[in-house]
Amino acid sequence: MEPAEEDWLVESLRLYQDFYAFDLSGATRVLEWIDDKGVFVAGYESLKKNEILHLILPLRLSVKENQGLFPERDFKVCHGGFSDRSVFDLKYVPDTSLLVTSGLPGCYLQVWQVTEDSDVIKAVSTIAVHEKEKSLWPRVAIFSSAAPGVLHGVRLSSLQVVDLESQKTTYTSGVSDSEELSSLQVLDADTFAFCCTSGRLGLVDTRQKWAPLETRSPGPESSALRWCAEVGGRGQGPGPRIASLGSDGQLHLLDPRDLCHPVSSVQCPVSTPSPNPELLQVTWAPGLDDCLAISGFDGTVQVYDVSSWDGMGNGIEPLFTHRGHIFLDGKGMDTAPLVTTHTWHPCKPRTLLSAASDASLHVWDWVDLRASQ
Amino acid sequence: MPEIRVTPLGAGQDVGRSCILVSIAGKNVMLDCGMHMGFSDDVSPPDGRLTCAASSSHFHLDHCGALPYFSEMVGYDGPIYMTHPTQAICPILLEDYRKIAVDKKGEANFFTSQMIKDCMKKVVAVHLHQTVQVDDELEIKAYYAGHVLGAAMFQIKVGSESVVYTGDYNMTPDRHLGAAWIDKCRPNLLITESTYATTIRDSKRCRERDFLKKVHETVERGGKVLIPVFALGRAQELCILLETFWERMNLKVPIYFSTGLTEKANHYYKLFITWTNQKIRKTFVQRNMFEFKHIKAFDRAFCCPWAPSPSTSGGHVVFATPGMLHAGQSLQIFRKWAGNEKNMVIMPGYCVQGTVGHKILSGQRKLEMEGRQVLEVKMQVEYMSFSAHADAKGIMQLVGQAEPESVLLVHGEAKKMEFLKQKIEQEFRVDCYMPANGETVVLPTSPSIPGGISLGLLKREMAQGLLPEAKRPRLLHGTLIMKDSNFRLVSSEQALKELGLAEHQLRFTCRVHLHDTRKEQETAMRVYSHLKSILKDHCVQHLPDGSVTVESILIQAAAPSEDPATKVLLVSWTYQDEELGSYLTSLLKKGLPQAPS
Repeated sequence: MEPAEEDWLVESLRLYQDFYAFDLSGATRVLEWIDDKGVFVAGYESLKKNEILHLILPLRLSVKENQGLFPERDFKVCHGGFSDRSVFDLKYVPDTSLLVTSGLPGCYLQVWQVTEDSDVIKAVSTIAVHEKEKSLWPRVAIFSSAAPGVLHGVRLSSLQVVDLESQKTTYTSGVSDSEELSSLQVLDADTFAFCCTSGRLGLVDTRQKWAPLETRSPGPESSALRWCAEVGGRGQGPGPRIASLGSDGQLHLLDPRDLCHPVSSVQCPVSTPSPNPELLQVTWAPGLDDCLAISGFDGTVQVYDVSSWDGMGNGIEPLFTHRGHIFLDGKGMDTAPLVTTHTWHPCKPRTLLSAASDASLHVWDWVDLRASQ
Repeated sequence: MPEIRVTPLGAGQDVGRSCILVSIAGKNVMLDCGMHMGFSDDVSPPDGRLTCAASSSHFHLDHCGALPYFSEMVGYDGPIYMTHPTQAICPILLEDYRKIAVDKKGEANFFTSQMIKDCMKKVVAVHLHQTVQVDDELEIKAYYAGHVLGAAMFQIKVGSESVVYTGDYNMTPDRHLGAAWIDKCRPNLLITESTYATTIRDSKRCRERDFLKKVHETVERGGKVLIPVFALGRAQELCILLETFWERMNLKVPIYFSTGLTEKANHYYKLFITWTNQKIRKTFVQRNMFEFKHIKAFDRAFCCPWAPSPSTSGGHVVFATPGMLHAGQSLQIFRKWAGNEKNMVIMPGYCVQGTVGHKILSGQRKLEMEGRQVLEVKMQVEYMSFSAHADAKGIMQLVGQAEPESVLLVHGEAKKMEFLKQKIEQEFRVDCYMPANGETVVLPTSPSIPGGISLGLLKREMAQGLLPEAKRPRLLHGTLIMKDSNFRLVSSEQALKELGLAEHQLRFTCRVHLHDTRKEQETAMRVYSHLKSILKDHCVQHLPDGSVTVESILIQAAAPSEDPATKVLLVSWTYQDEELGSYLTSLLKKGLPQAPS
């Protein structure tokens, strides 16, 4: 073992309650939960068949009691499927056995079925996307209900909701605004949030004609090439909050009641610019107050406690930085790995999963060092 | 029809089930013998006599646990092949297993100590990469499998047909063993364990980290850690790990290792140093394996450093045998420490049913000891798995190395392996089989029979000029002589000479009637021009006597007296030029192009 790797492992005894590291056969940009015991990952290589895998978390992680009696620390491949094209986004349709994936070429979405009597994930149908963009792929979000609908779009103008079963379009944005989308997020049965690559954010009610609550786009003084956002967050004050992250490391916190005036804006101490701004991600912790995680700048994932911010944006330090992908790079690749995606465990408050471009997948439970002080 | 037949025996996926019957070119071979004896729905022993048995995967009971039963109680009398370390370690574990089964579980009809000894007398030990001739046709060769000391993958070969059985193996090296390796032997069939095929393994580093963390946390709060181990394999690895990190973290907490263990382990490791990986080998050549800075040996004769007394507060770590807590020192220490919740016992491997180890790993917190004493287990129990197995990725790697024609997965559930089967089939373009236990897979094979070509014939062909190429194969004439299980391709003349026969020439002549009013010389000329223009790749000549030759085929024009308007072409060729001759004939039958008038 390299001395640096060994040093990091010794450090890790103190930094992590638990730590698991896996090597997938192909890197993934997708980490999608199905209940709290399984995740989907999918490959994104362009010239070969990619695998979509349904992985069950190691038993040791999932059991509530007597953890010590379970030696199994491995992921179980519960289902697998093959995709001819790269998969950049994957969404599970709750209460069904269906998945929707999006990739390049971006002219259709693929619908898959996961069954119990076989471990093969089968492609069952497609949803046509009328945008004929060559290099852009549609973002996807799911309206889960008795009749699930797939929200998708490449640009604001092409946003629509398609009923999964009948394939009929039940909603369209109806605007000619051609701003490119960066993310879509369904908030409840009737509303969704969108974030454009320019940083423009909006909350849309599908029962009304297009009239979203919106932010102003960050002006030309912003050095960020691309933005992403997530609605969520629990903690101080009522209601959800929105976190918006730019490729220059700028992080804004917004209140949905007043999207034009950020509650706070900080500069995160990250290496900029991000080598691949499409991989930027910001996520709120479902089990912790005022905590969020960011990734996409390098091989780390950073966790922040936003309650400690005073709105001035000075001297912001992450609560925790996961460096595992850098130190455990056993392949000796010349280029440092880049974190492609991360996600929080739905129930265990400080457990995250993160994946990197070297096909590594980590599951880590970080120690809040403030608690011991 | 030549074929290979494979039948995995046993039932379910419990430990103790590896046993595979292979029939290759009429030879019957049994691979591993881990069947649980006395099992009611056993598959009946194979038809026909077994040529040999190979116990490949190492000394783990699920691969050799039924060997004495098979050889002494069922009556197999032939050779049993295994590697040297397996031969040395097997009997120890079999005896342990026997003791537990008979003394602890009260099993009747189990094999005896004498049977174990008699069984081992039938063992023929093999070295890695050594081709062993079992009989005049069957050979076997062992390859390094990693996994545990002495584990091997076996290649069974009869003529040009071969099968490779992997047993348990792993593709990632660890601290004391290397990774499995096989050359591009291209067997007809690769049989691989697939128990872990549908998993993605957590990295070695993380398992080690978990172990270190648990040990560290326990000793930090003043608790004691008991690690029951066998003498070999895992114990050394964990010692090396602790030693490395104790050094790094500058810890002063003492670690003890029982001398009984030390002696045995040293002895075996010195014998089998070639089986460990490069790094270890270098270290051990230089020093005694148990000369650790932080790890001290203890002897049970001395006063136990952990006898209950106020001065023995503070944490420490002890490695002791036996590994399943079923007797001896480790059980003694366990009884002393079990009542304190600050302490911890770490079980690094599987425990056979009936042992204390198995009971506590099943969650039992109250144990009945001798004299009806009840022991309350308050100490923390940790079950850790360090044994390395190949996961899906590892299986793909091995298939890529060996390049088999087909792959067979054993010990998986068919419904749960359809994806892996497709993955293997797509990536390597091979057939993938997944028989259930008891089911026979039949693979038709096309054995290749090598034949020699005589130098004279080869030289003659080469002398004819152009070498054959894929797009234009050239016909080679020769005679195949089969004599004394030998195939030779020689020239016809040589064959005739050897057989003492006279050579005969066969020549065909065909008549083609043409309508042509001119003289035969002119007809011949027309034929010549026509053929010359069409057969650009062949040698077409017009001879002074008026005949036309195409290569060695002769065409002569004649005028039959009956009908001056008709000419007859005599086309004649030897049997070697049959193809061209027939072609020419049909060509000429189509007629000649109209001459310009």
